[in-house]
This record gives sequence, structure tokens and C-alpha cells, in this order.
Amino acid sequence: MKKIIVLCIVLMLIPLFLFAGTGEKKEGITIGFSLWTMEFTFFQNLEKGVRDACEKFGYEYVMIDQNSDPQKMAQDLNSLVGQKVDGIVVTPVDPGAIGPAVQNARNAGIPVVCADIGKSGPVNALLISNNYEGGQLAMEFIDKQMKKKSSNTKKVGVGRVQPQWTYARQRGQGFMDKAKELGYTVASEIVVAVPSAEGGYDTMQQIMSAVPDVCGVFFASGREAVGAANAVKAAGKDIIVVGYNGDPEELHAIEDGILHATVAQQPWFIGYDSVRIMKEILEQGKEYEDAVVPVKVELLTPDNYKKWADEAEKRRGTPAY
Amino acid sequence: MERTRGMGIRARIARRWENFGLPLLFFVLLVIFSTLSPPFRSAYSLISNFRFSSFIGIGAIGMAFCIMNGDFDISVGSMLSLVAAMGSSFLPKIGGVSAVLFTILFSTFLGFVNGVFVTKLRIPAFITTLGMMFIYRSLAYIYTNNTPVYIENPFWLFLGNGSVLGVPFAIILMLICYVVAFLLLRRSPFGRYVIAVGTNRETAMLSGINVDRTKITVFALVGLFVGIASVVISANLGSANPGMLGQGYEFQVITAVVLGGTALGGGDGNLWGAFFAAMILTYLKNGLGLMQVDSYWQFVAVGLVLIFAVALNRLKFTLLGQRQA
Repeated sequence: MKKIIVLCIVLMLIPLFLFAGTGEKKEGITIGFSLWTMEFTFFQNLEKGVRDACEKFGYEYVMIDQNSDPQKMAQDLNSLVGQKVDGIVVTPVDPGAIGPAVQNARNAGIPVVCADIGKSGPVNALLISNNYEGGQLAMEFIDKQMKKKSSNTKKVGVGRVQPQWTYARQRGQGFMDKAKELGYTVASEIVVAVPSAEGGYDTMQQIMSAVPDVCGVFFASGREAVGAANAVKAAGKDIIVVGYNGDPEELHAIEDGILHATVAQQPWFIGYDSVRIMKEILEQGKEYEDAVVPVKVELLTPDNYKKWADEAEKRRGTPAY
Repeated sequence: MERTRGMGIRARIARRWENFGLPLLFFVLLVIFSTLSPPFRSAYSLISNFRFSSFIGIGAIGMAFCIMNGDFDISVGSMLSLVAAMGSSFLPKIGGVSAVLFTILFSTFLGFVNGVFVTKLRIPAFITTLGMMFIYRSLAYIYTNNTPVYIENPFWLFLGNGSVLGVPFAIILMLICYVVAFLLLRRSPFGRYVIAVGTNRETAMLSGINVDRTKITVFALVGLFVGIASVVISANLGSANPGMLGQGYEFQVITAVVLGGTALGGGDGNLWGAFFAAMILTYLKNGLGLMQVDSYWQFVAVGLVLIFAVALNRLKFTLLGQRQA
């Protein structure tokens, strides 16, 4: 047994001594980007924005996918620190869990910019959509549609995102505050347990069961809104459904007439501007500490979604849906 | 290490693989990634990955005992979430040391509860712990009102992020846990009972071993190591998120144990194999990430490594004439 232990220790130490270096730094500026996941179009567009900005500014670019795993997220951030990148852009799957890793990066002299979702720890800046305003836009749209109808019902529902996404939660808060202001009752407020189209479908069924005369609903995430819209269609009811994000599946649903509107974010801009701010920090010495930079959102309806999609395609180089 | 004198050449090779296979595989992995991806071989990265491997490695100890004993516990991920959330919520009131002790003791108690349900209700462990998995996760949601608990206590944070003489504390803790577990398994009667019950429950019973007591103790051990892992993991993240913490943890630790050479059917196992397997899984994922390999192909790679290692273990069992998994 002793021989095994000795041999194992030697095997482990050999690479450390023979191969371990100080992690030589490349010339030029390198941006490390840690992303929640590449599974969804929103994040694919965000990543493209980061990549396009790095290309435009002449930066080296390293991207690591968190695979929706908070532990991997922390490990990846530490890995980027080990690679001695010049700046880190992160879109965290669990924003509350990046604090120690961000502190580690800052201790190593590496600035950190969060691109959407949220932040914790000593980040330099967070770029995020004006979610509160987005929620308000959704309620204003429902109110406008209800005024066209003869129905007197003033009950609305909201499918909210999980609590750890504190900035995205502002969508629901903006919606509910505007609803009260306009004289509506938020008759159902449910956190969508499974953030997916299926989760949205199930939640909408719960809302329709609990509040049979609900007139409009807002789902704070695109794929959930599409699921909810399908649930309304399956039930044969006339309920206004509004989503959030501007994902391709939402635009298809608007085209098919099952989703009434969505609040579109600008993920490409969020990604691009994250690197632009990093450039200001690294090359111009501009100071950003715990800054929150809001990015405008836009309400998409059957009247304007095609024009928005065309403009988005021109900007990104890829179709919006 | 069992002697190979008197064995045929193939049996000798099989015995050598049992003892050196995984350390060798780990070494090969390090060489390959160090060659293909220069950032991988920085001392910082190597040590950082070693620290991260402790998160699976510590949990794998308890799971190894459980599998050797002939059972499974798939509630470990949810248990980790619940105890981390509860323990860290007490930090402002009772301080770091007490909160850590509470977390580990409470987790051991939950493991004990699992063991009592398995032995006294006579429901297969897979089904029992499947039910407990839902219960623990739901309790974590209910207790925290589905809100993450943010951790600022320096003592708690030190356990996952601090260093002693330049060595991450999490690594030191993992090594201590493995030494203690090894002594328990190989140098105590309890260890022999664990293996005896896992090999053949009826024979163990007829030999005078209290099977129920052994099983309950094993499940409590699972809880103990999950409690330690929960503190280290939540410290590393600086928060205990009831929805995200521990998701998929049960599969990670079971993979490490099986990759390490412990037979799924119960009986003798390889504790140090689980240690190296945890490191292989961690370094493999990091190395592939640094090489910009698509995340889905990373999952394919992990699956292939697992199948390859288990296939070699089955071959080893055949060559040694042992009972297979």
C-alpha cells in the first residue's frame, strides 16, 4: 500500500514540476467570456455581440460555456483568472454565486463586467435591460387591448421568474405596479417552477383554473410565454398573452396569432457594449465600480415585429427568427 | 495491495490496473491537456482544478461506502441544498463554527433518517432516496421561500476559498476525509461489515453482523460527507441557492464512485479510485472547456470516459475471476 501511495504522489507531482508554468500571458488584450449556456437564442445573440466587439477592437477572445451549472461557472471564472486574461465578461447562471470568483479576479487585477442577468461581488459594471420599464410596457399593452374590447374584467395574471434572477424579477414588479396604477387586480402571481415552454404551459393552466375570468397575462420569459399562449389556445379562451425577450419562438407565435406581444431585449447590444465598457476600462482608464448600465427595451406587436426583425438581422448578420 | 505471485500474466495485469489504472489515466489526461492547451498547465489552473475536484471527491466517499454496502442514495444533491441553505441561514445568529457544525450534524441526521426508512420500511434504497430527494429539495424551497441565502461569514467562506501555506483548505480537507475513510474501511471491523453486507447480505447476517445497524450507519456516513461537501461548495459560491445548489450532484458522485472501480452490485470497492475519478472528471471538463470544445461534446467525452473505465473494470473482474458489477 505504501508503494501505491508513493507512486501516486509521484505521478501527480511530475506534471506539476515538469509542465507547470506561470501561465504566460499572450500579447495584446484578451477578453474571457463566461456564458450561462449557448442553448438559447438570446444567449447566442449575446455571445455574438461579445465576439463581434472583440473582433472590431482587435481583442483575443476566449469563451467558456457554464452549461447552466453554478459550480462550473465559478470554476470557469477561476480558470480565466489562471489564464491571465485582461478582462472578464460574464453572463452568470446564478448571479448570487459569483461573488468569491469575482473577488478573486479583482484581486488579480482583472476587471469584471456582467452582461445581463445580475451581479454579486465587486464587479465593475452590469449591463442589463430596463426590466422594470419592460414590465410596465407589457401592462400598458394589455390595457390598450382591453379598452378595444367590451369586456369589463380587470383581472390579470403574471408568471414570474425565479427569485435568484433579481433583475429579471423587476419585469414582474413593473407589470404589477403598472396594473395597480391602471386599476387592474393582479389576481394570480406564480413563479414558473420549470423555466421552459412546458413550465409556462402548466403555469397558465393553473392561472386559468384559479382565475377563470383573467383578461391578460404577462410571462417574464419568452419561452414560458409561448407555452402559456399555447395553453390559452388549447383551452379556447380569449386571453391576451405578453412575453419578454423577443426570442424567435415568440416572433413565430406572434406571426401565428397565438401570442399578442412581447418586450424585446437587445442581447447583441448587451454583449457588444459589455466589451465596449471593458475597452474604456482597459485602454482609457475610465473608472467603473458597481455601475448598472440600463439597456433600452422595445414592445413588439403584430404591427411592428417584422420591421424589428429585419433591423435585428441587418445588425447581427443572422435572422431574428 | 494484494500479491500477484502465483497469478497468470493476465490476472497480474488486471491487478496492476486495479492499483495504478486511474492514477495512470489521470496522468495521461494531464499530459494531453497540458500539451494541447497551455493555459491548462499553469500551476494556478492545476491547483484550482484540484480544489474544485474536492467538491465531488468529498461526497464520493459516502457514496462509495453506500454502493459497497449494496445500496444507492440519490437524495444527496437535494440533501446538500437543504443543509447548506439551513446552515448558512443561521450564520448571523450563531456564528461560523456553530453553523458549520450544525450543517454537518443535521446532514448526518438526514442520512440516518434515510437509513432508518430503508431498513425499517424495507423499501429499496433507490426508491426511498428518490422520494427523499423530492422531499429535501421541496423543504429547501419552503424554508428559504425560494430565495438564495447569501454568505458573508469569513469562517464559512474560508472553508471553500481559503488556503493554508498556499494549499487550498478544501484540498487539505478532502485528503483528511479520504485518510479517515480509508482507515474506517480497511482498518476497522465496521469496514469489513460494510463489505460483507454488500457482498452477501444473508451470509453477513448468519455471520452475526447486524445488517440493519450497518446500513443505517452507512447512510449516516453519506449524510456526514454530504454535510462537509455542502459547506465547501456553498462557501465557494458565496451563496446557498435552494433551486440550483446540488442539482445533478448525485450523478456526479455516483459517476466518480463507479469510474473509481467500485462495483454497482456491492462488495469491495476502491476508495482511492473514487478520489482519482473525481479529479479525472474535474480536470477533463476544464481541459475540454479551455480547448473551446462545444459543451455538448464535453458531455459525450465524460460519458465515453465512464464507459471506457467501467469496461476495463469488468475486464479486470473477469481476469481475476471476481463477481462482476
